[in-house]
Amino acid sequence: MSQLQTAENTQNQQDFTALSFENVKFWYPEAENAAVNGVTFSVKKGEFVSVIGHNGSGKSTLARLICGLLQADEGNITVWGMNLADQKNLFEVRRHTGIVFQNPDNQMVASIVEDDVAFGPENLGIEREEIGRRIDWALNAVGMSEFRHSTPTRLSGGQKQRIAVAGVLAIRPDILILDESTAMLDPQGRREVIEVVRRLNKEEGMTILLITHFMEEALLADRTIVMNRGEIVMQGAPQEIFENGEALLTYNLCLPEITRIANTLREHGIDTPPCLYPEELAAHIADCAEKRVLKNISSPRVPKENDEKRGVWDIKINNLTYTYSAKSPFATQALKGVNLHIGDGEFFGIIGHTGSGKSTLIQHLNALIKLPTAEKKYKPKKVKKGQTPPTMPRLTVGTYDLADKKCDFLSLRADVGMVFQYPEYQLFAETVEDDVAFGLKNFFKDLKAEEVKERVYAALTAVGLDPAEVGEKSPFDLSGGQKRRVAIAGVIVTRPKILILDEPAAGLDPLGKREIMELLHKLHDEWCRTVIIVSHDMDEIACNCTRACVLSDGKIFDCASPHELFSRADELISLGLDVPLTAKISNALKRRGIDIDSDFTPDGFARAVISAFEGGENHA
Amino acid sequence: MLKDVTFGQYYPAQSFTHRLDPRLKLLMLIAYIVALFVAKTFYGLALCALFVVAATLISKVPFGSVLRSVKGILFLLIFTSLLNLFLHSGEHLLVEWGIIHIYLEGVLFAVFLMFRLIFLVLGSALLTLTTTPVSLTDGLESLLKPLKYIKFPVHALALIMSIALRFIPTLMDETNRIISAQKARGTDFETGNLIKRVKAIIPILIPLLISAFRRAEELGDAMDARCYTNSPNRTKYKKLTFGWRDLVAALVGAALIAGVVLFNVYAYDIFPAAYPYVVIL
Repeated sequence: MSQLQTAENTQNQQDFTALSFENVKFWYPEAENAAVNGVTFSVKKGEFVSVIGHNGSGKSTLARLICGLLQADEGNITVWGMNLADQKNLFEVRRHTGIVFQNPDNQMVASIVEDDVAFGPENLGIEREEIGRRIDWALNAVGMSEFRHSTPTRLSGGQKQRIAVAGVLAIRPDILILDESTAMLDPQGRREVIEVVRRLNKEEGMTILLITHFMEEALLADRTIVMNRGEIVMQGAPQEIFENGEALLTYNLCLPEITRIANTLREHGIDTPPCLYPEELAAHIADCAEKRVLKNISSPRVPKENDEKRGVWDIKINNLTYTYSAKSPFATQALKGVNLHIGDGEFFGIIGHTGSGKSTLIQHLNALIKLPTAEKKYKPKKVKKGQTPPTMPRLTVGTYDLADKKCDFLSLRADVGMVFQYPEYQLFAETVEDDVAFGLKNFFKDLKAEEVKERVYAALTAVGLDPAEVGEKSPFDLSGGQKRRVAIAGVIVTRPKILILDEPAAGLDPLGKREIMELLHKLHDEWCRTVIIVSHDMDEIACNCTRACVLSDGKIFDCASPHELFSRADELISLGLDVPLTAKISNALKRRGIDIDSDFTPDGFARAVISAFEGGENHA
Repeated sequence: MLKDVTFGQYYPAQSFTHRLDPRLKLLMLIAYIVALFVAKTFYGLALCALFVVAATLISKVPFGSVLRSVKGILFLLIFTSLLNLFLHSGEHLLVEWGIIHIYLEGVLFAVFLMFRLIFLVLGSALLTLTTTPVSLTDGLESLLKPLKYIKFPVHALALIMSIALRFIPTLMDETNRIISAQKARGTDFETGNLIKRVKAIIPILIPLLISAFRRAEELGDAMDARCYTNSPNRTKYKKLTFGWRDLVAALVGAALIAGVVLFNVYAYDIFPAAYPYVVIL
């Protein structure tokens, strides 16, 4: 008890140490290397600290050590004045810390929002009236009061995660830890959660430890800690850390895009100091422009090569409509008359926030969701007066007519490969080879064993794995990134003409994301003809796609090249979507009267700025 | 296919049935089931039907949603009905064809048992449709409280149930996703012999199990971090209270059993001519 009281007393002091690690080491059972290897750091009360690092750098282990979900093998951890080495402190430490994990679905115990938020206070043995007050406060703090009696399964990802935050807040913790809590959310959801966290830090003075892969989020903190292989390798103000980006490269992290743009500009004599915000970079470019007395900067956009191949594998979608659980109280119309044409050989992007109908759309393409067949009359029972009866939806992929009952759906699925979100969760076989061969054997039943092996090896090589090394291993013994590659190999092994991927880079660290996108380009060039990706990472779309469409509320908002699409940045933002970094800089420049016309890739943007400057100098 | 399962799917609405105390609803269901099994006459069965139809009407749950629950036992229904039809012997022979003999008594018996089974499922479905899983488990926990004295872990059991119910939709989504993914890889679930079909389930079952374990582990961590201990000091936010509605409902429940028993006893007096066709057991 005395220890507790001293903690309460010192709490009022300004410099109270909320959290401190002293040379902490931790090994997972049977692991060779320490997951956390001699970490020493401390966090002051009210401080906002962000932690970055590649996947497997020990960030999450750190978070679990703090709330006593794991016990350190060596060293001392002190949380709110209590030493965690003493098991008696465990419960008290958990009272003072709250942790929000990555997957909102796996953190909820109850089927009603208020019951879930009540779970923590109930565990603490708090009386009913006080629990009610805490629910009020916690839901209000995350802006979810109106959903008090809702069912979490019917909420969006961002809303669910805010409920998870409320559930943690109801314990009234002093330290809030977010362990990649935004990794599974769309941009809108991410903004919602981060806004809540910032407010808690500013208004309630809560100590925050934010573990993240997103630079924009890490930048909000007072201090950033960089981890690599279980060690803290850099520490300091986030601006400083990200500004000397080259150092990050050595720790398996990526240079922030904006730093890359600024670097390219500097190499070409446009002197922009290191900066991290689009607004800031725009201001610097405008400054430089002013010094050189430039006006009306504009550059012709280099049109992207049109790599339409032969048009054999075109995808034509006409008037596609789809309703989930039709005729039930939960009926929701996912698609409301979609018309879309995806050309043979395109690298096509599908953008839209959660619930916009993206997944429903792509599942039509390989007949996982089947169209009403032509023989069946497509007529709703009641047609409202003044409305024309809906026309029959049509969908053709190459020579396949999906509205035709006699369509060979099996060979269609061999030709249209589909990689679902988090495909590594669908691995099941004993060895990598067997798993990859699974689809192949399903589609081509009379293939000889040697042929199967040959094609499996080819697919594994294509995704950048060494078949001789991983082939005999269990897929469950591989790293996260490797598993995803195996899962992709299991789809491309049938040599599909069209490859569809739902959020191929979700949950990966920045480097992993880049590697996957590189892989997809390689596959697009060498393996299949059309690649379609679903993504809510706009930079990914801007950098990789020849064309993209935006789905909003089951309808196509726009379908165009990234260049045309992101010129409508303001409209996209109002739809709850993000825009690429370059679009943000362009927008900021536009407000300063400088019009940069680029294709919104970082390189293209830098090129456009450079050529604009060169053109300007000629005028001067 | 999986989307049609209504069990455990709460139908949100504001109604008399929804607002009843879950403990009472559980007791009502028990009373209703007792009535169904006590009933020996079609009169009694009709009374039970009246009860479940009235309760559904009051609950504002569409009949379709309630009726869908019968789909799940369709096979069982047909199977047992046919069995009863062929195996029950009696005095009035209706059909004779080879070794198959169908008697009037057999037809009545099969129809009676079929309706009993249907009403049983309808009543249970209505309970889960009008009661949130949480209040259902709260009700169960409260009803089972006396078992605490024989060291039965009532609270842990209730929590397990509530978590199971909470994860039904999540795991159902997951199952659908895995099915889609394996279908995209050419798995054929619809054709082939039994062995082939069972084999086709393995690529779904294994990822699903692994995912369930992963979720369980994460949930365990989240619960630990939210200070969960199985201590007796735990409080409950939701308090169950009996109201006037519950009294009304309790009386209806009592009347139901009484009615069924009365029909059993006085079946002959109501309509003597129909007696042999109305009394089944």
